[in-house]
Amino acid sequence: MTFVAGVDLGSGRTKTVIIDENEQILGMGMARTEADFDIVSSKSIGSACESAGISDDQIEYIATTGLGRYSLDRRDIQITELTCGGRGAHALFPDAHFVVDMGAQCTRAISLRDGGKVKSFRTNEKCAAGSGGFLERISRYLEVSIEEVGKLSLEANDAQPISSVCAVLAESEIINHVSEGKTVPDILRGAHDSLAGRALSQLKLVGFDSPVVFIGGVAMQEGMVDACRELFPYPVYVPEHPLHVVAYGAAILGLRRHEKRTQETAVA
Amino acid sequence: MTIDEIVLHSRSLLDMKPSQVIKKTQETYPNVRGFAVFPVYAPHEIIHAAGLMPVGLYGAGDQLEITHADSRFQSFICSIAKSTLELFLADEMDGFVGIAFSSICDVARNLASVVSRNTEGIYVEYLHLPQNMASEQSQTYTRSEYERFRRKLAEHVGRPITDAAISESLKLYNEQRRLIRAIYAYRQDHPGSISAAELTCITKAGTRMMPGDYLTILKDVMEQLPQRPAHARDTVRVVVEGAFCEQPPIELIEAIEAAGCEIRDDDMMLGWRLFTGDVSEQGDPLTALANAYLNESVYCSTRHDYYHPRTEGLLARVRDSGAKAVLFTPAKFCEPALLDYVLFKRCLDDKGVPHLKLEFEEKMWTFEAPRTEVETFAESMLFD
Repeated sequence: MTFVAGVDLGSGRTKTVIIDENEQILGMGMARTEADFDIVSSKSIGSACESAGISDDQIEYIATTGLGRYSLDRRDIQITELTCGGRGAHALFPDAHFVVDMGAQCTRAISLRDGGKVKSFRTNEKCAAGSGGFLERISRYLEVSIEEVGKLSLEANDAQPISSVCAVLAESEIINHVSEGKTVPDILRGAHDSLAGRALSQLKLVGFDSPVVFIGGVAMQEGMVDACRELFPYPVYVPEHPLHVVAYGAAILGLRRHEKRTQETAVA
Repeated sequence: MTIDEIVLHSRSLLDMKPSQVIKKTQETYPNVRGFAVFPVYAPHEIIHAAGLMPVGLYGAGDQLEITHADSRFQSFICSIAKSTLELFLADEMDGFVGIAFSSICDVARNLASVVSRNTEGIYVEYLHLPQNMASEQSQTYTRSEYERFRRKLAEHVGRPITDAAISESLKLYNEQRRLIRAIYAYRQDHPGSISAAELTCITKAGTRMMPGDYLTILKDVMEQLPQRPAHARDTVRVVVEGAFCEQPPIELIEAIEAAGCEIRDDDMMLGWRLFTGDVSEQGDPLTALANAYLNESVYCSTRHDYYHPRTEGLLARVRDSGAKAVLFTPAKFCEPALLDYVLFKRCLDDKGVPHLKLEFEEKMWTFEAPRTEVETFAESMLFD
């Protein structure tokens, strides 16, 4: 049996997925990203191994992705999160040709060719206003835990618009809403609507014309998914584990490389 | 020293200005004086035989702001020319007796004259290296040019440069080049044992120390490589081409490697490892050096060899190193490299060898864009 790990060293969380030779997920792990990527990835890989029921040294190939992909010394390959996100989403929803990946620091809109190869993409890397980091700041300001944000947003009756394109200025708008006595759910839904609007703009730039797969940590927030489904003109698919899709894509691509290398070694 | 210590030491030498390099060397060799060698090639052996320390002059990197040189050169001139001139104009060449330029491009030719006109007390030599490798007269001509260099240098330092001294230097540099070739070969056989960035640091720093000391370092590296833990990653094997004169920042090489490319072979620091084998240690040393330049040099965009086209040389380098792709890394505004790119591109396209062009300049400080380009290039090759 072959064990291949995909490790997504993101700015917020480090996620690991372990698959077998049939691309079946055997285990998943996660750790909060800290300064030392080696320690963080060891924790993440360790928890994935535990859930897969294997030991760390049984992993034959490691593909890293995400912000910290160059930092894991024992990696076999590093792959961009765009390529991995596309492949992971395609493996789960083969008919979808669009992906929106909303992480802690970056939102990426990706269009895919048949087979899951990236056709084009747009990112918002320069500003946190369109990403999960923005929601974390808001939740801290509103004194609710990030885990509660998704459900609270669904309780909104009068979503408060947040028009600013800048995270810092958007916070000022939120302060105004609070001082005007607006409810927490209404403000949170406004933030979700704002993020959905930004994601839609990015998707349009890559030719959005059919269903989209919504992945990344922000896709775990029910209110965010609801905001996207309401705003987007095409169906929004959300996988069971949206946070781990990029790591899954890395594992799939890692498996292909591992098989190819094994074949090449056998021929040699 | 361990390899890690050697790399650190090399980096510290690369961070010095030329005058600081000489000052540092004088701590051990109080009477030593430097002689700068502008790329690509000058016969280091003659300089060393004159009792001088040949120092590779590869501009000033990020060590010096251009404040004077812009008034002598236009904006479309390569970085190395401007920062080299700046070193002279900013009095950063203390401890140097002279500098040798060779006929590599119009910019270098003019730079030699500009340096000569704008500096006092420094000997500026311009070597008219042959452009025609195939003529029957080439050897006679090259030897006579080396002889002229020897005579003028001897006049300048006030002592003769004997055949015996040149022969001794020739043996020293032969051994140096042999060890560099051996390290390159070992690295190809053992990917991950030493990175291209580390090796480039070492080869570049080698032009900033006494050749005898450098030999010790190279021997240490060769000896320790088998014990060094190596983790061979899954990469695209590439040849890096186009950086034979101005050198790419080490961070760019690191970015290329981090992005998933294994640099199997390259043309960096080419002038200091120009010969494919040992220069003959028998007979007249100047004739041996001339023969080596004409017949035993690797192909280079600054040499025209009718019988050995550069495109064939590049294809051979790709084939022999087991590379699957080529990264062109010319310096911005480098005419020889960019002109050859047209030929190389056509030839590689014909042979179905993927390639990518990445221009650089010595003061570039952000490497995210080239890393993304290389990573995308590598992924396009690795994944169907």
